[in-house]
Amino acid sequence: MLVYSLKRFAQLFTTVLGVVTLVFFTMRMIPGDPISAIAGDNLSGEALDRMRSQMGLDAPLFVQYLNYLGHLATFDFGNTVTTKLPIIGLILGALPVTVSIAVGTIVLTVLISIPLGTLAAFTAHKGHRMLDNAITGVAMVLDLMPSFWTSLVCLLIFSLTLGWFPASGTVSIDDPAHLLRRIALPVLVLSMAQVATLARITRTSVLEVLSEDYVRTARSMGWSELRVLFRHALKNAALPIVTVIGLSFGNLLNGTVIVEFIFTLPGIGNLLVGGMNSRDYQMVQTLIVFYALIFVAINFATDLIYRVFDPRVQF
Amino acid sequence: MTSSGRSRLYAALLAATLLSPGAVVSASVAGAAEDKTLDVRFYDDPAGFDPANIFRIENENIAFNVFSGLTTYDGKTGAIVPDLAESWENKDNTTWTFHLRKGVQWQKGYGEFTAADVLYSYKRILDPATASPYIAELTGIETMEAPDPYTVVIKLKQPNGGFLHTVANYHQGQIVKKEAIEAAGDQVRWQPVGTGPYYLESIDVNSRIVLKRHKGYYKGPAPIETLDFHIIKDDATAAIALRNGEIDLLMRQNKEEQLQILKDAGFKMNHVDNYAATLKVMNLSDPILKDVRVRQAIAYAIDYPAITAAIAPSLQAPAYSIMMPWMEVFAKDAPRYEYDPEKAKQLLTEAGYPDGFTLKALNTSAQGVTEQQQFEIDYLSQVGIKMELELVDTPTYNQRRNKGEFMTATRLLPAINPDMILFSYLHPDNRSPKGLNGAQYDNPELTATIEAARAEADPEKRMELYAKAQTIAMTDLPYVPSTANNVYWPSKTNVTGVNINYLAQVNFWEVDE
Repeated sequence: MLVYSLKRFAQLFTTVLGVVTLVFFTMRMIPGDPISAIAGDNLSGEALDRMRSQMGLDAPLFVQYLNYLGHLATFDFGNTVTTKLPIIGLILGALPVTVSIAVGTIVLTVLISIPLGTLAAFTAHKGHRMLDNAITGVAMVLDLMPSFWTSLVCLLIFSLTLGWFPASGTVSIDDPAHLLRRIALPVLVLSMAQVATLARITRTSVLEVLSEDYVRTARSMGWSELRVLFRHALKNAALPIVTVIGLSFGNLLNGTVIVEFIFTLPGIGNLLVGGMNSRDYQMVQTLIVFYALIFVAINFATDLIYRVFDPRVQF
Repeated sequence: MTSSGRSRLYAALLAATLLSPGAVVSASVAGAAEDKTLDVRFYDDPAGFDPANIFRIENENIAFNVFSGLTTYDGKTGAIVPDLAESWENKDNTTWTFHLRKGVQWQKGYGEFTAADVLYSYKRILDPATASPYIAELTGIETMEAPDPYTVVIKLKQPNGGFLHTVANYHQGQIVKKEAIEAAGDQVRWQPVGTGPYYLESIDVNSRIVLKRHKGYYKGPAPIETLDFHIIKDDATAAIALRNGEIDLLMRQNKEEQLQILKDAGFKMNHVDNYAATLKVMNLSDPILKDVRVRQAIAYAIDYPAITAAIAPSLQAPAYSIMMPWMEVFAKDAPRYEYDPEKAKQLLTEAGYPDGFTLKALNTSAQGVTEQQQFEIDYLSQVGIKMELELVDTPTYNQRRNKGEFMTATRLLPAINPDMILFSYLHPDNRSPKGLNGAQYDNPELTATIEAARAEADPEKRMELYAKAQTIAMTDLPYVPSTANNVYWPSKTNVTGVNINYLAQVNFWEVDE
């Protein structure tokens, strides 16, 4: 276990260094820089050059890179390029919002799609195609609806017509009740798309194990269908499902961009898009490091959970 | 604060109380409506409010209410009116003397405003270490001095009849306080201190900006105590927030269909028309576009009145000139290009392109292919011109546009000062990559005319020169006017005094609910 952890840590280090280097250079290969991003319509090229040199953006690339690594080594993530705000503060402020949305979405998705997928598999196994087709069909339609559209529809229905949820307003982790009201709709919208994937995977994996010998054995022992289904079939079908949940959690962290924009939630998706659009090198680099760390952590957690479901998994 | 600093502050407060009993009375009268709050939409991430390097209209709106200039713009007429300067005189448009208002108080207890603050503010812009993009606005100053605390004398290198625009409450003209700037250090863009009607109380760059009224404002405290700006980026969400009652006033609404919905729902449609024109920049270093007949053909080929009526009747109108019709110096008789496809074909044939040519149009991909572009492609194809869109993301677009790497691009330069438009677009000193003359236009006759117009002190001659400049510019057509843009700030019906000026700014001192 210790060796495994050390190995994973070394892996983490090289992953992050690779990501950092890649992002550093690709960001600078894209045409346009932070100064041209703020140029707008009324700033002249001459004026912009002056700002560029004041911000040190005209220093040789390699010098900028070494400088950046030096700061990174001391966990100094610096300030945003044009607005001079401490990046770490911005990210830590935005992270809870996005994490709340992602966790909420995963919980809702799991609560809906696992019973649904299992039910679909069960009916398919019994040869009742109708319910199976209906579930698969609805899941597919939900999956195909673009989230910017479902977001606006949800706003119109739940916010404007019914008045259940506000469309705007400050979001703070210190006020959980209000936070819940603000993230309810985004969670609903994101879950719609996630349910489809997870229900499908659940259906396939459960269907596969339903024809296994041990399921037949369990059934022959006279246990109820429900117990067979959830205790024996689902547990053995869990590995692919857990993998997909882990992956979709990672995807959700950067997939919240659109809902954050429409529901005016100040999360890290917003920061990343803003950072890209304004070519804020520092912001994008730091966020990517965060994302890399989060992904590695999720993979690690997924591996650990594997063991819970399948004791044969060794580290 | 040092003890001498504190005693200075007390002295200032004491002086203010003793000298202006009126201010005390008006403060207590306004106290009746102490807790009025206006919730306003803010449409993008704030980028800071330091006049030396401020950019983008939404940030300028905050600065406009925090700071003051020697002059400012009337919200309704756009005319120059006194602000920190009570009056002024000038000799030959070269030596400008400003008489400052007495007893003006800085926000946050920084004492009384004096002439030294004016000199400091301008010198700060001119200091290369500030790296202000607006330095060129003030480089025409030869000397400036303060013979006494309430007088500023500025001598220009060359006569400039538009100098009152330069010192207006906008960018380089906004007066800052030395002590406040130094105290803020590198966070100066987030800690603005001015003499305007509102001061910045708090800011969360992710979600909101809170302004509180400056009780010591020289015109008396504003009617509304708190301006609470909420960042809502999406136009549709903003409209819903207004309909839901979460927001009182939308700073900008740029979606035609949302405007229609809000109008039908009975909201107040505060707006300013023709605030600025979008121009098609014709790069004259292109072998095809350097022929004036080709440029005129493009102007004749597109029916902008029909396009704007079809896509955005509220937000847009056709533009016929590089200057705006509300400008005092606007020339009605300058050449106009009404839709005339036959004339366009004839000009193309004369220019040697009877079968047309390919026009590459560089633009930003931010809105995808717009309806307007689709119409333009269609209209141009009818005279044989094949318009090819080259859409790139905004930073790339800005970079290429500033470097002059395009055949055509577009630009919208909001300005009240006519010289700002004429010099930026047409003066050879401002050819890109250095300045905004992306057309690379250089006509010595026009250059002489605009320089003479700026210097001219005689009002009648001045108007003649401006008219001549517009005739030349609209004949040579380095920029083809396409659409004039209207700005909408929809609000609840009880919100009054939302007068949007021609820089798309609102003076919140006039706003009440």
